[in-house]
Amino acid sequence: MSAWRQAGLNYINYSNVAAKILRRSLKPEFRTEALRRDESHVRITPWANGKPAQRLNAIYIIHRSSADCT
Amino acid sequence: MLSRIAPGVCTQATMVVNQQQSRNMATLKSIQIRLKSVKNIQKITQSMKMVSAAKYTRAERELKAARPYGEGAVMFYENAEVTAPEDEPKQLYIAMTSDRGLCGAVHTGVSKVIRTRLSEPGAENIKVICVGDKSRGILQRLYGKHIISVVNEIGRQPPTFGDAAVIANAILNSGYDFGSGKIIYNKFKSVVSYMQSDLPIFSQKAVESAPKLATYDSLDADVIQSYMEFSLASMLFFALKEGACSEQSSRMTAMDNASKNAGEMIEKLTLTFNRTRQAVITRELIEIISGAAALE
Repeated sequence: MSAWRQAGLNYINYSNVAAKILRRSLKPEFRTEALRRDESHVRITPWANGKPAQRLNAIYIIHRSSADCT
Repeated sequence: MLSRIAPGVCTQATMVVNQQQSRNMATLKSIQIRLKSVKNIQKITQSMKMVSAAKYTRAERELKAARPYGEGAVMFYENAEVTAPEDEPKQLYIAMTSDRGLCGAVHTGVSKVIRTRLSEPGAENIKVICVGDKSRGILQRLYGKHIISVVNEIGRQPPTFGDAAVIANAILNSGYDFGSGKIIYNKFKSVVSYMQSDLPIFSQKAVESAPKLATYDSLDADVIQSYMEFSLASMLFFALKEGACSEQSSRMTAMDNASKNAGEMIEKLTLTFNRTRQAVITRELIEIISGAAALE
């Protein structure tokens, strides 16, 4: 089992962190364009019984883990 | 319009005259107002068409780059001959739409596929994730109980892999153990056509028991798990891009048609307007002439 999975990341998180670091280490002329691809604006609301439910903690953790590497 | 601002102190006779005049004026005036608003609408639809044409070219360019992501993932399932597990009836459907309307039937098409599926037997084992407010709006009234997640803020900016990763994470962490599923999206064919299509998704168990998995070398549970996670994100990314591209192209056509229709309406209204104006002038002339004739 790899270290990142033991740390609670899945492959998506892991590769996102790697991609983020790579984008930041680009030369300045490519960096702005690449950083634009880094953003994500979507918002997720869990639903239950036909109504929006409380926000899951899991989603909070994802946001936190992607925010941590900034 | 004029009768409203007419002072209430005026006599009955002048009221009648005022009303008579104001009615004729009003028809002319109302046509004028209508004409103006239709012209404004045409301007808006035309500029929306321009905007979506620009967005479309960008979306198509980006779609070309995103295609290998989706095709690669689908090829893996085909080569390994992954099938839905029989003992796990739970299914997950993902409706790929966006938040924005005014783009023809892209959203209704996707929602209809899911609605048809949900009206068939076995629907109680299906859960739906609505990507984009439009599919939520269509599905929530009748099939609200099937929705487990709604993703919005889609469509304002071109979709990124980050968006797809966030959605994929939400699916993986939703706690819903599906055996198989489908991503329903609009597949972009050309500027004027798109069609509803689907991408398969499977659980890890289904992949592990696939008959031809041996085609691929050095696979262990860990690698498969990582690959499944990544392929989910990349298929979502591909579907998002396809959807965005079809949406822009469809909006372009829709707005083009709207401008054309507005143009037709403007023509008709101008004709009516001129005719009415002519009629008013003629009538006034007749009134003056017959008045003068009566005095003689």
